[in-house]
Amino acid sequence: MSRIDLPLQPNGYKVQWSYLPRQFSAEKIEEILDLFRKFVPTGDFTLGKPVREFEQRFAAMIGTRHAIGVNSGTDALKLSLKALGVGPGDEVITAANTFIATVGAIAENHARPVFVDCTDNFCLDVDQVEGRITERTKALLPVHLAGQMTDMPALMRIAQKHGLPVIEDSCQCILGDIDGRRAGTFGRSGSFSLHPLKNLNVWADGGMIVTDDDDFATVLRQLRNHGLKDRDSVVRMGCNSRLDSLQAVVGNWLIGQVDFITDTRIRNATYLDEELARIPQVRLPRRFSNRKLVFHLYIVFAERRDELLAFCKEKGIEAKVHYPVPLYLQDGLRCYGYTRGDFPVTDRQADTMISFPAHEHLVEEQLAYIVQTVGEFYGV
Amino acid sequence: MAKHDIPYVNLAAQGRDQLEDLQRIFGEVVLRGSFVGTDEELAGLERRIAEYCGTTEAVALNSGTDALMLAMLVGGIGRGDEVITPPNSFVASTAAIVHLGATPVFADVLPDQNIDPERIERAITPRTKAIMPVHLTGRLCRMDEIMELANRHGLIVIEDAAQSIGSMHRGRMSGSIGHFGCFSAHPLKNLNALGDGGFVTTNDKDAALRMRRLRAHGMVDRQTVEEWGLVSRMDALQAAILNYRLDKLPDVIARRRANAAHYQGLLRHEQIYVPPCRNDEFNTFHTFVVQVDRRDELQAYLKDRGIKTAIHYPVPIHLQPAAHALGHKKGDFPITERQAERILTLPVNQYMSQGDVEIVAGEVLTFLGR
Repeated sequence: MSRIDLPLQPNGYKVQWSYLPRQFSAEKIEEILDLFRKFVPTGDFTLGKPVREFEQRFAAMIGTRHAIGVNSGTDALKLSLKALGVGPGDEVITAANTFIATVGAIAENHARPVFVDCTDNFCLDVDQVEGRITERTKALLPVHLAGQMTDMPALMRIAQKHGLPVIEDSCQCILGDIDGRRAGTFGRSGSFSLHPLKNLNVWADGGMIVTDDDDFATVLRQLRNHGLKDRDSVVRMGCNSRLDSLQAVVGNWLIGQVDFITDTRIRNATYLDEELARIPQVRLPRRFSNRKLVFHLYIVFAERRDELLAFCKEKGIEAKVHYPVPLYLQDGLRCYGYTRGDFPVTDRQADTMISFPAHEHLVEEQLAYIVQTVGEFYGV
Repeated sequence: MAKHDIPYVNLAAQGRDQLEDLQRIFGEVVLRGSFVGTDEELAGLERRIAEYCGTTEAVALNSGTDALMLAMLVGGIGRGDEVITPPNSFVASTAAIVHLGATPVFADVLPDQNIDPERIERAITPRTKAIMPVHLTGRLCRMDEIMELANRHGLIVIEDAAQSIGSMHRGRMSGSIGHFGCFSAHPLKNLNALGDGGFVTTNDKDAALRMRRLRAHGMVDRQTVEEWGLVSRMDALQAAILNYRLDKLPDVIARRRANAAHYQGLLRHEQIYVPPCRNDEFNTFHTFVVQVDRRDELQAYLKDRGIKTAIHYPVPIHLQPAAHALGHKKGDFPITERQAERILTLPVNQYMSQGDVEIVAGEVLTFLGR
């Protein structure tokens, strides 16, 4: 195979992480500007028609009765827990290796996060959950990290046995599924992020909660809008966590592209899986034939990870690590009293995992260049 | 068909008026592809807001509600603390206190709808940690007296300045007098985004630094979580729009003040309380709220004639179902309760002409004369 070299992208990389500047070609920008031109004179800026439309399309896409637009994926989790009545003294069981927002949402409700170590697919190890349940446990909060899926059928059996509600953190897992059942539809509600770097994004912070429970949806709609039932009646103390109408206009425009985005990421990941599997120093996470993994992040385990990361960057590949310092060891969490070694799988992964770009705006040569560069590093 | 067509707000007119500029700004931000996080646009807006308000710092956030919450959070207010605030605000002021686990303690208001400093003093207990005056309608509270009280009792003052950007009391700007000023940039505000937005102004550099950390997950860099935070960022799009509209704010305020002054000249009738403009005040008239008996009848009368009005707010916070746990009953805050039955907000927005004001005032006087 001939050696590939690639031109530099505007940000100085040959294989860039962020694809946002490429969501628009010249004709695309005209399309969205036209939508913007139509939207602004409506003056419909707060929970307006575009939000209702986007919620309906989102619910239809995931297959739930309701979708509720909120200000961020973090708020989607926070409000879901609040709607369950999680508060001071309660415990919520979640994954030790998640992004900070999951635990922040628990802490903001004055509850305590109780961590469970993860498996090799980055999601919490369901076999360890029962050992962590106490009389203070109020909810289970599995995280479908990186577009992988928690073993939800097994987790739901545990939840039912103990009568515990489940809130799914599906922020990184839009359209992921197990045996055709989508992420976000197993628990009482599923929380999605629409942050600019997500598979379905808007152009600001944004989030969505999906649920089939009519009463739960009503409470969530009140909580995101100051606890208001109508303009003059406050039925509970809520907050301001609305999805902007303007961002719903963007969402309505991009939602039609989600299947393409998902399929392309899966195809790119499949290619990388096949090629990287030939390199003995690289190990792939476990893949499951009955799960649809949507590869919000494409992560593998690598020997001499830090050196590989530096080498890739030098060669123009914008690789990253998600996340280099496990959450339970962060300064912000010292109050919970966890110590190094409490979650050995999480620790091991933090030292060996590396994320490569696999997004829908990459071309074949860029993917091949990733494989070539990793091979070059290990001399294979 | 109704005789007139005078809307209460006119966001559509603003949208049409600024469409070309807004579209250009939108296109520029979108092509830059930087939507959240540290953006030049955002930093520039924060500098300009601080300069405008006369503070050293401004922190841009997702909403005015979040501004109140984060200001109190960095002010060290939490469980067991009491915060004194009026019962006639929008619910967000009180809700922000409740969300921090603190207890809202209400103090009744003056005829001009703003909190009464004497009643604040009577409400102070050993657990009082802060005072949250609300500058309702774009009129500043009696900040001299409130600051004197706060200093004497060692209390933090959080100005709820959501409705009062650019307003002054004795030459001092809204949001620059207390320890924190909390602003909203909601679409209905005088300085408005195309969605939710807010700011905190302060002269406390460390507090500003902490709020900047807290608004983005408590992170100091991509890998380090210093403390529990949340997500309350102002996105780059809204920041760019506010940067553009900040230049227009003096004009918006001037037009609203001219409309209000015109109302004040026209609405001379013993049955109506018209909000005053005192010599030591600079009011920006986020709303123009009159007080009348037979309020509901007047509102219906104006509606029939095609004039839209509003009520800010018909049910006082202490009587809302959500406030049940605070244990209040009707009669606890008689001035607020009486005002709730008499207040009516007349349209005063910058897209109204003086002729429109004359039409509204004329119909009000016709009604009162009957």
